[in-house]
Amino acid sequence: MNRTQTRRAGTVIAALALFVAACSGDDDDTSADSAPASADTETTATTGDSAADTAGDPADTAATDTTGDTVAEGDTGAGSSDNLTLWVYDDGRIEILNELGAEFEEEFGVGVTVEAVDLAELRNQMLLGVEGNGPDLAIIPHDNLGALVENGAVAPADIGDKVSEYLPNAIDGFMYGGELMGVPLAVENIGFFYNTDLVDAAPTTWAEVKDVGGALVAGGTAESAIGLPDLTYNTYPLYTSFGGYIFGRGTDGSFTADDIGMTNDGMVEAMTYIKSLADEGLIPENIDWEASHVLFETGRQPFILTGPWALNRFRDAGVPYAIAPFPAAEAGGEPGYPFLGVQGLIINANSDQLLLAQAFATEKIATEDSMRRIFEAEARPSAWQSVFELADDTDTQGFNSAGVDAQPMPSIPAMGFVWDAWVNAGTLTITGELSPADALAQAVEQIQTQIAES
Amino acid sequence: MLTKDQRVPTSLYVRTALITVAFAVGALWLVRALLLDGLVMLASVVSAVTIFLLLVYLRRRYSAMRWMAIGVVFAALFGVYPILFNIYIGFTNMGNGHLFSKEQSIERLESEQYLPEGSSTFEWKGYQSADGYAIVLIDADPPRFVSESGADETVELDPNGEPPATIDDYRVMAPNQVLPIIDSLADLDFGDPDAPVRIQSFRAAAASQQRYRYDADLDAVIDLSNGVPHQAKEGSWVGPDGGELVPGFISVVGADNFDRFLSNDNLRTPLLRVVVWNFAFAFFSVALSFLVGLGVSMLFDDLPGRRIIRALLIVPYPIPVLVSVLIWRSMLNPDLGTIGEFLAAIFGSSPQFFLDPMWTRIALIVVNIYLSYPYFYVVTSGALRVIPEEQYDAAEVDGAGPWQRFRYITFPQLIVIVMPLLIASFSFNFNNFNLVYIFNNGNPPMADTIIPVGQTDILISFIYKLAFVTSGASDYGLGAAISVALFVVVGSITWFQIRATRALEAR
Repeated sequence: MNRTQTRRAGTVIAALALFVAACSGDDDDTSADSAPASADTETTATTGDSAADTAGDPADTAATDTTGDTVAEGDTGAGSSDNLTLWVYDDGRIEILNELGAEFEEEFGVGVTVEAVDLAELRNQMLLGVEGNGPDLAIIPHDNLGALVENGAVAPADIGDKVSEYLPNAIDGFMYGGELMGVPLAVENIGFFYNTDLVDAAPTTWAEVKDVGGALVAGGTAESAIGLPDLTYNTYPLYTSFGGYIFGRGTDGSFTADDIGMTNDGMVEAMTYIKSLADEGLIPENIDWEASHVLFETGRQPFILTGPWALNRFRDAGVPYAIAPFPAAEAGGEPGYPFLGVQGLIINANSDQLLLAQAFATEKIATEDSMRRIFEAEARPSAWQSVFELADDTDTQGFNSAGVDAQPMPSIPAMGFVWDAWVNAGTLTITGELSPADALAQAVEQIQTQIAES
Repeated sequence: MLTKDQRVPTSLYVRTALITVAFAVGALWLVRALLLDGLVMLASVVSAVTIFLLLVYLRRRYSAMRWMAIGVVFAALFGVYPILFNIYIGFTNMGNGHLFSKEQSIERLESEQYLPEGSSTFEWKGYQSADGYAIVLIDADPPRFVSESGADETVELDPNGEPPATIDDYRVMAPNQVLPIIDSLADLDFGDPDAPVRIQSFRAAAASQQRYRYDADLDAVIDLSNGVPHQAKEGSWVGPDGGELVPGFISVVGADNFDRFLSNDNLRTPLLRVVVWNFAFAFFSVALSFLVGLGVSMLFDDLPGRRIIRALLIVPYPIPVLVSVLIWRSMLNPDLGTIGEFLAAIFGSSPQFFLDPMWTRIALIVVNIYLSYPYFYVVTSGALRVIPEEQYDAAEVDGAGPWQRFRYITFPQLIVIVMPLLIASFSFNFNNFNLVYIFNNGNPPMADTIIPVGQTDILISFIYKLAFVTSGASDYGLGAAISVALFVVVGSITWFQIRATRALEAR
């Protein structure tokens, strides 16, 4: 073996070793305390040791030095105060969170690194990430909570008496199995939009919606009586006004898949109502999110059920609108209520800085001051009662009035089986292949089959 | 061991030995880290790769393999390993509630604490001294001072309810001294070693106790609060009442996943319909886009200005599929789309391209032709040039018409050239998830199935719906099992097609 050959082979192997190490190098460095073997690859050096000495406060070196056999020694990383990592799935709040993190660092000596991460990636990392991977804290929409909790990825957030400062239904959204599993930040729900040029006042019953919209269609002013962007989430207030629901609640107040309300009379009535709209040509047979919005913003449809995300396009289109509470099934009845979406801060149960992360959530974020500043940074209805009431623009007030009785979307994993079955029931009803009752019965059967097989 | 050649200088030995040791140590460290994470399969593949590379490097006998060793390693790591891993997952229960290894699951459960009945939580304040840490339970009655060295004394609060700043050698810690090390403090036991107080959170401490302990003899996790064992059973910790502890773990469950879709009537009936449509979809997509592409290339082969025409015809090709499909989606909308309104103007109403199964299928294939014909146009216009002009001249002299010339000269020679491409295209379209999923998510739904299936679902989108439903309740085991089955199906189709092509070429 001559020299060149050796050198070449050596380089290749070293490169390979580095490459392979880099490929899988992000496994945990805390459990494999890497001191002995870390000399040969560069990947390890950067992660492990740097924080070892920062544990004790500099002023108290005497104390930390002498506690040789306790914290300082057991200190394979857990005691060292690395920055907390906070993942957010949308970036509107990064700046204010960074600001709050900097204050936290000033007060307590531990900083917070805020990163924007795609929601699916965030979920996967928290579900599959072993200890040391993934964030210490994350902001998620509450409907992702169930799968995370059921896989042991979320630690409880104990905010004590401060619970009463929050909107009850926002707290409800982050309750799971009788425990609060996150600190709610903001709430969101859809509203009932009407075109103020075409109609004078919001209808109060669905029959009125049909009459008013039907007259406009018959008169040629409108092409569709009401915009249903889908047959599930956005149409939920229609189902609930007739008394329909998806999952009932168990004894501890959390949703349970043992009680599926999708075949009750209210659900069937609501589905029959939708079918009658389609049959009489008052809505397109082909339920399409985009089409329903286009019809509303071009003034060819008096009503639509949709959420805050549509505001910008309606404003851009210049369509005159107002947001109202949802109609009721009959005059004097209870108005329909929409799903409530709650965004909140959760704590990664697999974090090696669990208590520190909890302290950030409960001491720094769950305060009126922080909640107000988060609201001011991005004007979404706050989950904190007194900040929620600060909202003064008419749109937000409209959504809030439509969502007074909003119920959190169930976050139990079984909800994942509901969507396809539900929309299929709607489609099969509209095309006339199944009667409303049969379509819904089939949907429930499909959901139950999938729950049983999962 | 290094080499038998005695004439090699010592420095070379040293260097070889150093490189070998460094490589082996690096590999060992990596394997250890992987094993600690419970990734046994990846660890064994890496070990095998390491041994292979060392053999090739050190044994003169294998030196001929050096030029391909890297290629082999890459193929093993990125080709074979993922396939093996997929097959392995297909035999496990990996999915919602079963995402940890058994060790991780035990570790998680053993770290859980509970409060024995009658005990309560206290507000605490941290203290430190040369001997270690201590806390004062402020709202205990009476307030207590407990240290990690076992002390447990009563303390007097001052009139403001604050504990003293120093107790013996201990000095009170400020919040900014406590927080950075709070997670280490939480590992400590304070006071009486038999009933130690532990820190629960920034504000609360309590005499909590370990909730679960794993008993290796029973292979069960014991709930220490009531002594109930939870037996390890197919990846779950099952209690006597059938209740399961969270989290479970990944466990090999044999052929259960395969059984679940092969012998399950709920799945089998829709599965058959999906398979039939899947074959039809792939076949018509490929055959029709090939014919359109061929037709176009024959039409525009000798027209003036064909360069511009050609450039325009290729336009669909570089546009991302996602964009094209979404545009087609809006154009085909029966109520607002351009095509929908056009058809409505002519025929009075537009077909329901998203609700009527037959029309949805037609629309899908039309969109797919639009997406794929430029490919066949490019390929065939090249291939046509290979056919010698003299053959056409000779045929014309013999009185063959255009159809006969195409039938007996163009087509036989062309098909031999493009057959491998047609096969590849068929396999691609057989798994054309993007198009089906984006266009209509496999809908409209079938009316009589026990799980949600669409009339235009192909196998891969059907699997996706089945195994990866929304909000994270994913069933990786089932998904992997079906994709193994799918691999067998597509693999055998390809194999038969390749054989058919060989026969064609041999003719």
